[in-house]
Amino acid sequence: MAKKYEKPVILKVQTGMMNKFGSSPYYTRKVRTEIDGVAINELVEKFGSPLFVFSETALRQKYRAYYNSFSTRYPNVAFGWSYKTNYLPAVCSILHQEGAIAEVVSEMEYDKARSIGIPGDKIIFNGPYKNLSALEKAVKEGAMINIDHFDEIYDLEKVADKLKKKIKVGMRVNMDTGIYPQWSRFGLNLDSGQAMDAVKRMVSKGKLVLNGLHCHIGTFILEPNAYAVEIEKMIKFGYEVEEKFKMKIEYYDIGGGFPSKSKLKGTYQEPDVMIPSVDEYAESISTSLFRNLRGGDLPKLYLETGRAIVDEAGYLITSIIASKRLPDGRKSYIADAGVNLLYTSFWYKYNIEIDRQVDGTNEPAIINGPLCMNIDVIEEGRLLPPMEKGTRLILSPVGAYNVTQWMQFIEFRPNVVLIGTNKEVDIIREAEDLSDITRREKLPERLKLNLNSP
Amino acid sequence: MNRLSKLAVNSEGFIFDPTTGDSYTVNPTGLFIINSLRDGKEIDQIAEELSKEFEDTPEEISKDISEFVSHLYTYNLY
Amino acid sequence: MNELKIAVSGINAVDNPGPGVGIARALKEDPDLNVKIIGLAYDAMEPGIYMDWVVDKTFILSYPSSGKDALLERLAYIKKSYGLDYIIPNLDSELPLYTKYTKEIEALGVEVFVPTENQYKLRAKDKLVQVAEKINIDIPKTAVVNSPDELIKAVDKIGLPVMVKGAYYKAERAYTTQEAISHFHKISAEWGFPIILQEVVKGEELNVVGVGDGEGNMIGKLGIKKMWITSLGKIWTGVTIKNELMLNAADNFVKEYKWKGPFELECIVDKNKIYLIEINPRFPAWSYFATGCGINLPANMVKKSFGLPFEENQDYEAGKLYVRYTYETITDMKTFQNVITKGEN
Ligand SMILES: Cc1ncc(COP(=O)(O)O)c(C=O)c1O
Repeated sequence: MAKKYEKPVILKVQTGMMNKFGSSPYYTRKVRTEIDGVAINELVEKFGSPLFVFSETALRQKYRAYYNSFSTRYPNVAFGWSYKTNYLPAVCSILHQEGAIAEVVSEMEYDKARSIGIPGDKIIFNGPYKNLSALEKAVKEGAMINIDHFDEIYDLEKVADKLKKKIKVGMRVNMDTGIYPQWSRFGLNLDSGQAMDAVKRMVSKGKLVLNGLHCHIGTFILEPNAYAVEIEKMIKFGYEVEEKFKMKIEYYDIGGGFPSKSKLKGTYQEPDVMIPSVDEYAESISTSLFRNLRGGDLPKLYLETGRAIVDEAGYLITSIIASKRLPDGRKSYIADAGVNLLYTSFWYKYNIEIDRQVDGTNEPAIINGPLCMNIDVIEEGRLLPPMEKGTRLILSPVGAYNVTQWMQFIEFRPNVVLIGTNKEVDIIREAEDLSDITRREKLPERLKLNLNSP
Repeated sequence: MNRLSKLAVNSEGFIFDPTTGDSYTVNPTGLFIINSLRDGKEIDQIAEELSKEFEDTPEEISKDISEFVSHLYTYNLY
Repeated sequence: MNELKIAVSGINAVDNPGPGVGIARALKEDPDLNVKIIGLAYDAMEPGIYMDWVVDKTFILSYPSSGKDALLERLAYIKKSYGLDYIIPNLDSELPLYTKYTKEIEALGVEVFVPTENQYKLRAKDKLVQVAEKINIDIPKTAVVNSPDELIKAVDKIGLPVMVKGAYYKAERAYTTQEAISHFHKISAEWGFPIILQEVVKGEELNVVGVGDGEGNMIGKLGIKKMWITSLGKIWTGVTIKNELMLNAADNFVKEYKWKGPFELECIVDKNKIYLIEINPRFPAWSYFATGCGINLPANMVKKSFGLPFEENQDYEAGKLYVRYTYETITDMKTFQNVITKGEN
């Protein structure tokens, strides 16, 4: 019987790299022929390539896992869906159906939440830029507003004057929790007394009533204990405020930041080994709550978990459109998706799966996107088998921050589909075409080309 | 070509270059091509024989062979 | 006694040696055990592969960074194709996997004797203060810092020169604050936060290797002083010692934390003060020293795991000398070829 053909490959045995599994077909190579029971082939035939695919099942399961882990440990907890992580209406609606309220950080996101049907009083309004009209709208509609800086206090006092009422507000604080970098650009600093000064200001004018504290210590936080520190400091401050000014802190919003199973560049171990479980975070947080809260006091705990809920529910299918040998001997593949669609590739190394079994020796390869730019590299170096043009790669997890931060640069943004719990596949964002780009562009009459005249 | 003839090549695809002390590994198709080159065959002929020897050879087999040869070239073996 | 197939990693007996070859040798020399040694290597150049008088069979593993599935799959393959009863992982980069997935490995029918996940965390240098206090040993003045600002304040307290360390890896000495900041940035970029600053204590380095049984008892231990080290800081000549403070701290460590598996405490002694510098949650590279002194730690650990009798916490003589030497072996390319093309030999 004849042997099966594979692309011919030669590899130099290099000092420090004499590990057979470098080149073994078995260990670095993963095949994925379907997502939630729907074939990759079928998806691409129907919806094109590249293609973002979201799994409704994975999304609901993740949300429930998080919700249950916290609600079984602390009786008064709610999640605010962090819109900036992914604000496709289908994704938001699924999470709202599961019981999450909305967490927005701009007027655009605020309006988006309202347009999906979320009432103002189910919106947490954060962020450093909320203009006067946005604030007024949010106050009228009863949103939870977390103040970011002194200027916002002045603006809200103006709104209070205009509407002739006292406004309940929350305040974002920042602090040292042992996490670096410290996100000290947002909110008012606890450690330096700035936050207390802000409360004094509110009290002295009597127009704003502080009823909540908010903090977000950063993203991809690998240390559960950082949250315990955050909570301890927030509650201490909360009780100080309550005693000094006879206020009641009704909620503590501790932000997001739990990691998804993604491989942060520069880390050695696999995410499975690196990343603490939901329960470790929930345990650290609830223990700190009970240690610091006074008996009988059970203020509302809000979480704004973003990436940990949606990241692993998202995949990007991309196709190999060409390959070449670089002068340094490495193999280079060109894919139809690049950093235009994968903003997070600057920080994370994705899991790469191939849509078919590819035989042959793995060799060091890079993957470039379609942009005619040197930075368009979605994989800087990985051992990959020799792949034919047309082979499809499935990259994951890509559900967080990509479909909000992607850019329209020389390519259209592709279809985004959702696989439902019964394997039904729906487009949740249509692929763009030229009209999407030209619709907002204006060409002054005098510049119009008339190529028929000589 | 001269370099190729001096290589020690075993049947499992392990190659030792006595001139430089470097070692290489090749897969079965790569081994077939190296042996054919050592016999002085041309790419067209190799392509034809390769597709007889192996199953499911693709149409662009000559492209694969010349890419392989250019890789030999980057290693200074051809 | 039935034959046991025991795998050891770290058979890179090079100028910065892994512990594997010494451990393999210790196991082979035990009169009660009947072992075949499987060497687990990451590179075809690891000398243990070629030392067929200590290592009976070699398998290449994919790097620990390939994660759990790759490891479990490979171990299952070794178990099936050759047989595998027990593994002693000896490298820092492997331990996160073995401590986190102990159950999964045991489910393959392969025994391991490693610390629990929580015990494993104790080796972090930012936990050292708390451990030292509990086991009754001093530590140099230490500060855990997360920013250059904190570093500057800490340097004021500790003084110069100062050691700048990553939580798990890397240590650099700084003579000025500026230098400390530059180490801070370099180490944090590579190994993350926090960064630990430590007073430089002068004195001689003393070490103790031990194995805890996971129930608070010491399977065995040996204290040594390094008499001569290489330019890489690796022991070349050493001598057994009995420093009560250090040996008591080791006993306390095992008792207080119910430590399971091998460990090494690195200490510095300055007259009648002794400071704990580092905890390694594995055998050190010189572990054969204990075997040579009559305390076969690897063999006793294996016996403990399989419920075989052995003498606990044996005594040893102070003043036994350890001398490393170099030796060469000449072989043809066959072994190398096999390891390169098949991943085993
Ligand atoms: C205020 C706020 N809340 C929540 C989040 C969501 O964070 P993550 O995706 O890390 O959970 C962010 C992200 O930057 C944020 O700024």
